Amino acid sequence: MLAVEYFEVECPEPVGAEYYKQITNDVLLDHNLLKVIDKLHISIDPKVPVFVAVGILKPITTVVRVGDIANINPQEGKMTLVITDETYLARMLKVFWEHFGKERVEQPDRFTVILYNVKEEAKEIEELVIGHPGETLNKDLIYALRCIAPEGFRLRSERFENGKFSFVASENTLAEDIDTLVKEKFALMGETP
Amino acid sequence: MTLVPVTYKGGIYQHDIVIDLIEDLGGYVVQKHVLAQEVVLQCFVPKDDIELIREISRPIFGEVTDSPLVGTEIAIVSMSLEIHHLPHPSCDIAEYVRRIGAKSNMVSLARGPGKRITGLNDEERDVINEHDIAVYLMGNFETCIEHKMPILLRGINVPVVVCGGPDKETLIKIIDPPVEGYVGGVGRFMRRTKEADQLDKLDEIIAEITRVLEKKRDDLAKDPLSVAPARLMNLIKEKVPAILEVTSPTPLTVQMSGLRVKLPYDTFAPELRAMEIEDGIKLGDIAEIEPSRMRDYILVRVLPFSETNTVI
Repeated sequence: MLAVEYFEVECPEPVGAEYYKQITNDVLLDHNLLKVIDKLHISIDPKVPVFVAVGILKPITTVVRVGDIANINPQEGKMTLVITDETYLARMLKVFWEHFGKERVEQPDRFTVILYNVKEEAKEIEELVIGHPGETLNKDLIYALRCIAPEGFRLRSERFENGKFSFVASENTLAEDIDTLVKEKFALMGETP
Repeated sequence: MTLVPVTYKGGIYQHDIVIDLIEDLGGYVVQKHVLAQEVVLQCFVPKDDIELIREISRPIFGEVTDSPLVGTEIAIVSMSLEIHHLPHPSCDIAEYVRRIGAKSNMVSLARGPGKRITGLNDEERDVINEHDIAVYLMGNFETCIEHKMPILLRGINVPVVVCGGPDKETLIKIIDPPVEGYVGGVGRFMRRTKEADQLDKLDEIIAEITRVLEKKRDDLAKDPLSVAPARLMNLIKEKVPAILEVTSPTPLTVQMSGLRVKLPYDTFAPELRAMEIEDGIKLGDIAEIEPSRMRDYILVRVLPFSETNTVI
């Protein structure tokens, strides 16, 4: 957990807390989320039972452009794109279809895309935005927190705004004062929700 | 003649010599796996003849090792089939006991997770009771284990080994009614067991299972079974040819005091009951043939000597 500035697991059972620290670390590492979390505080009370996770994310401003995942070779009447990273390939094709029309876009094999008779310069195509990594972060983070929370905690309240998130889960109906609980946990990190 | 469970590992070339030898010595091959060029035999062999088997299999590079769990069927009871428990640690443990010869089945509870909502239904209870031993994989919190165990043990009459996050002493203290075995420090975790200390923990689980099963074996020896399940297995293979058509990896699963026959109950139960074992003694006379709660399989429970007055 080197990249995370603050990381605590709070639990009345010290052995349980130790295990949950390990589980949190493993799950976030598996989901590739360690690098986006700045602060994280988890509190579990198996007696109530309740699971609270509050945290702050690092700002994500980057976007993915065509130039990040492909090399462009302009030729007479066509442009050949050699793909280096397939992650955003499908989204890139979708952007091309919208921009140039399906008849001008061809993908002869897995790592090659050819554009026919396009007016734009190679430079302009390189600048086209094809993805925002921050968009799906919300979903990924909530999924990861569901994996971390003890099983059977099916009643959940999730909040995710302005780079701050809170996740409260329990087996029983959630008490009405979860806001106070969340506030308390944020205060432990020296923040406000 | 005492039969001991062993595993034979060797090349596929001339492995039939070993199979013939085991059968000639009065032993039984319980399971045979062929993996590419390798053969793994799980078998019961006479204790005094292990050296002989070692000697004969030496020129063909065969290896004979003790595997105390051969001929047992173990229920690995996982609290659910969600990502929280699978594949780690449930599958890791189920796979590890398989390596030393046991047949493990994973039993996942419909209402296993949680503290208040936890429960065990009649089907789950009956399926667990069809095994030789049940290994309960619990979570990391004392409070939950203490609260859940009495509910999850209701109606279970096979020996139980509980694995949980808290240490062994704590588990012994909090679990009521007491169970036969405890392994501490193995709760819920989300990583593969591959480091030396994690493998040691798995070995500890095996040691505890073996200890509990040895005790069960000793109890069984006091009132021996009317027929050895491994022998029964060979007889069924001979006399009920339909079993050879079953594609399941273990069409006949040997247990400590019985056998699971993976054939439909309604069609084959009368045939099994009428199957002659020796001198006019039928299987129906010395064993109870019941429908299993697992699919529509047949469960053969061999009766002890005290009930039948026969040992074959």
